[in-house]
Amino acid sequence: MLPFYLPDSGKFVVTSSILFSKKAENVKQNPKVSLLFSNPEGSKVGKHAVLVQGIAHADDSDLDHGWEKYLSYWRKKEPYIDAYLAEREKFGWFWKRIVVQVEPKKILAWKNGDTSKSPEVFGV
Amino acid sequence: MTSLDYHRLGNFRYAIITLVGDDGFPFSVSTDFKIMPDKKIVLQKPAQPSKLDGKRVNVLFNHITGLPGGGYGDRRYMLVWGTTHEHHGTLTFEPEKVSEWDEKILPFDQYCAKTAPQGAKYLGKLQASVEA
Repeated sequence: MLPFYLPDSGKFVVTSSILFSKKAENVKQNPKVSLLFSNPEGSKVGKHAVLVQGIAHADDSDLDHGWEKYLSYWRKKEPYIDAYLAEREKFGWFWKRIVVQVEPKKILAWKNGDTSKSPEVFGV
Repeated sequence: MTSLDYHRLGNFRYAIITLVGDDGFPFSVSTDFKIMPDKKIVLQKPAQPSKLDGKRVNVLFNHITGLPGGGYGDRRYMLVWGTTHEHHGTLTFEPEKVSEWDEKILPFDQYCAKTAPQGAKYLGKLQASVEA
């Protein structure tokens, strides 16, 4: 899943196709989730590792359009997504997407990704 | 259970251990690992969680390569469920079940086609909840 941070609300958002919806189903059963940012290739936070624990809410009230407001965030991370969008008919169910918002409750951080040491803990 | 391909597993650079903490939240931590000649998986023991002996966990091995123009390539993962064991300071992982994807083996469009039953299942549940 590709997470986006919304600075105005302090929440994270991921959108999930119904094709890969097991996590979204699980969120409906148990909203306690965590997001781990530990791979510098994706996290862009250097070698540091950050774990965000929070409460998730899955919104599938508008599978066809509810996720579109986050498209600008998505495009910044994966510019080629427009090529898939151009073939929206072909990838019909991929574009039926659940919006999952995560409200952080606790953040744990390992400087330089050194998990042999205890993390710094921040309450939110 | 899909059998675990230890050769491909060895191409990953690190592992992420996840288990449910005492507070009910998933706790995930990245760490190094190695595969021994007898195929035993040895994980570098993280500082936390402090007790991992006999714990049911999942261990994620994943990889992406950042592309020059943005986005990612060479996407692949193995998500392995199993049990961790501590013995004389060594943390081993006993795999039980694995799910995986490697876009070089199964291109993304084919992966989407393969997961269509999950999409149908989700829509079916959603329809039932709307009608209830």
